[in-house]
Amino acid sequence: MGNVLLGDDGIGPLVVETFRCGYDCGLGVEVTDLGTPGLDLSPYLHGKDLVLLIDAVKSDEPAGSVSTYGESDFAPTTDEHVRVSSRLTGHDPGLWESLAHLRLIACAPAELLIIGVVPASSNFGEPMSAAVLGALDSALRIIVQLLAARGVPCIPRVPPLQKHLWWMEHDLMTSPAATDRF
Amino acid sequence: MARIMIDPVTRIEGHLRIAVEVDGGTVQKAWASCTMWRGLEAILRGRDAREGWIFAQRFCGVCTTVHAIASVRAVEDALSLEIPVNAQYIRNLILICHALHDHIVHFYHLSALDWVDITTIPNADPARAALIAESSSTWQGNSRRELEAVQDKVKAILGSGQLGIFSHGYWGHPAMKLSPELNLILFSHYMQALEFQRKSCQVVAILGGKTPHIQNLAVGGVMNAINLDSLATLNMDRLGTLKALLEDLIPFVQQVYLADASLLAAYYPEWFRYGRGVANYLAVPDLPLDAAASQFDLPGGVLMDGNLDSLKQIRDWRDSSFREAVTEDSTRAWYQEGVLAPFKGQSTPDYTDFNEAAKYTWVKAPRYHGKPMQVGPLANVLVGYASGHPLTRKWTDVAFNRISAVHGQHVTTDDMQSSMGRFLARAIRSAMLSDLALEHLQKLTTNILDGDHTTCNTPQFPTGEIMGMGMHEAPRGSLSHWVVIEKGKFTNYQAVVPTTWNASPRDESGVPGPYETALLGNPVADTEKPLEVLRTVHSFDPCMACSCHALDARAKSTTREKVL
Repeated sequence: MGNVLLGDDGIGPLVVETFRCGYDCGLGVEVTDLGTPGLDLSPYLHGKDLVLLIDAVKSDEPAGSVSTYGESDFAPTTDEHVRVSSRLTGHDPGLWESLAHLRLIACAPAELLIIGVVPASSNFGEPMSAAVLGALDSALRIIVQLLAARGVPCIPRVPPLQKHLWWMEHDLMTSPAATDRF
Repeated sequence: MARIMIDPVTRIEGHLRIAVEVDGGTVQKAWASCTMWRGLEAILRGRDAREGWIFAQRFCGVCTTVHAIASVRAVEDALSLEIPVNAQYIRNLILICHALHDHIVHFYHLSALDWVDITTIPNADPARAALIAESSSTWQGNSRRELEAVQDKVKAILGSGQLGIFSHGYWGHPAMKLSPELNLILFSHYMQALEFQRKSCQVVAILGGKTPHIQNLAVGGVMNAINLDSLATLNMDRLGTLKALLEDLIPFVQQVYLADASLLAAYYPEWFRYGRGVANYLAVPDLPLDAAASQFDLPGGVLMDGNLDSLKQIRDWRDSSFREAVTEDSTRAWYQEGVLAPFKGQSTPDYTDFNEAAKYTWVKAPRYHGKPMQVGPLANVLVGYASGHPLTRKWTDVAFNRISAVHGQHVTTDDMQSSMGRFLARAIRSAMLSDLALEHLQKLTTNILDGDHTTCNTPQFPTGEIMGMGMHEAPRGSLSHWVVIEKGKFTNYQAVVPTTWNASPRDESGVPGPYETALLGNPVADTEKPLEVLRTVHSFDPCMACSCHALDARAKSTTREKVL
């Protein structure tokens, strides 16, 4: 998950595209860039055995740190404001509302893990920071380990597929018209 | 006089602040403020016009497809490029299913709990509830057994003391008026809707190649390969899957969603009196039926002062009346420029903090010949009704008859111009779009069987400057993308989105926008729990994510009311 136009918030889509092109996990695994879907997340989580979400997650660790969280680590607080301001993505309602809805109809994922990368900054139109770019390999390693531990093999693709990172091909704001303005 | 600041308004997408002054139990003044800044258009300047849609669909995480479509239509308009009919039908099916998904989620998951008090559900008699539900709808999922199961689930949630997502509701509020049985019925459909919203996503995924970000668009058409003899392309098997998905989804829309919206209207008739707001309506033509986009299944037009006889039709996308009429006014928004046509639009920030006497929002004020306009399903339905559009008339009459079957209330198109009317219009539109989904699938199938497999015309860009505008009647209302292109690259890009029309601030003449006007006279029984304000705000289905984007521009506020 993440917004590719918001600097480090785009780490989720970057990891996902790199993983999709680098590994083959067979037909039982879907690898999807979900963007910032809000409540529309629920169809993608519906009835899954395991969900790994890759996202930028704020914490006290230095930028670029990668950590794995379980659902309970993100239990929403009762204070609406704290919850909204500490939400994972730019959208609300989002992950927790989607999960709560799926629990209501007994279709929540059996296991959900979040691989969080601490962002340095998530400003509009900025490129990703070096610290967060540097976290790519360890995020990939963690995904492979987590899947392997659950009996899902990740076979490296040789050669890897061609990555389509259209939002990183040019600096987002370098067009002459844009630099005049900002 | 009490002053209420709702910040943020929740159960919407994005970040919206509403400030109201309440006196004598009603709202006297209102301000709508978006506290995130938009600047996405700047990213598109200088880019290849053929790839604009890929960026545009990241404007928002929710309405990805609508911006992608408006973007390709804008470039095609600039090039006077026709697209194959197969491409029109495929795009139309994607747009319809996106809209059905959006409307279902809005009614049940983002708004129903403003009207449905789930804490009364344990007191409901499921047998009586089943009787009520079965008498108002032929839907299969209203049995006593089904309703008992939902009641047990609600009892378990309430008994656990862990209300989770339901912990911030205004339970027991005096404006909550439904019987425990009706609350049970509506909440059981809230749960069923979670299953049905998936089906519309599946249609979009099959045609779009991938969701949430579709992959099949191109300037000039779509990239779906059609080959009846290939397993990997759009073939009869895929078309059959689409039909089956639609046939599952449509009864839920026409027999459940529309029935529930009508029930809500029948039991909250006073809400036909509140929330009228700006009674000028704008809807743009959509669901084109031919390559040249000269015929449409959804009519467009403009209505002024709530008068259906004032209809001025917008016949097609090239109709100059629309593009000459639209301006964006930044007098009260945090941008430097004053009043500009979208082709000339800039978005240079000029942030001042929330100052209701001057600038107070990141949303510009779009105007039509200088007038504020309301957009959305209500505008769509009223324009269709005024045009004598048969499908609009058919489903509006179905809804009106359903309402009068409850307490004999006779609803008119004048009553529709209200907060309740906006909820009802969204359900009417959904019922109508459901019929059209099957029709467009049939047209696509017939055209393919007739041997036409073309899906794209290749664009050729001239070196000189060209301008274009792409329209779409999106779930939240009229959307237009305005582009200026030179040598195949964008030199300007502005999006005038539905929520900027509706959440518009005051303009240079001090005339407020639809949200701000709709709140005037709205009752507020308890200033600590301004439920009624939320009902009117939610009736517009606010989605601030593309109206004003990007983070880190949050205004400081002195009073913050914590409100669900």
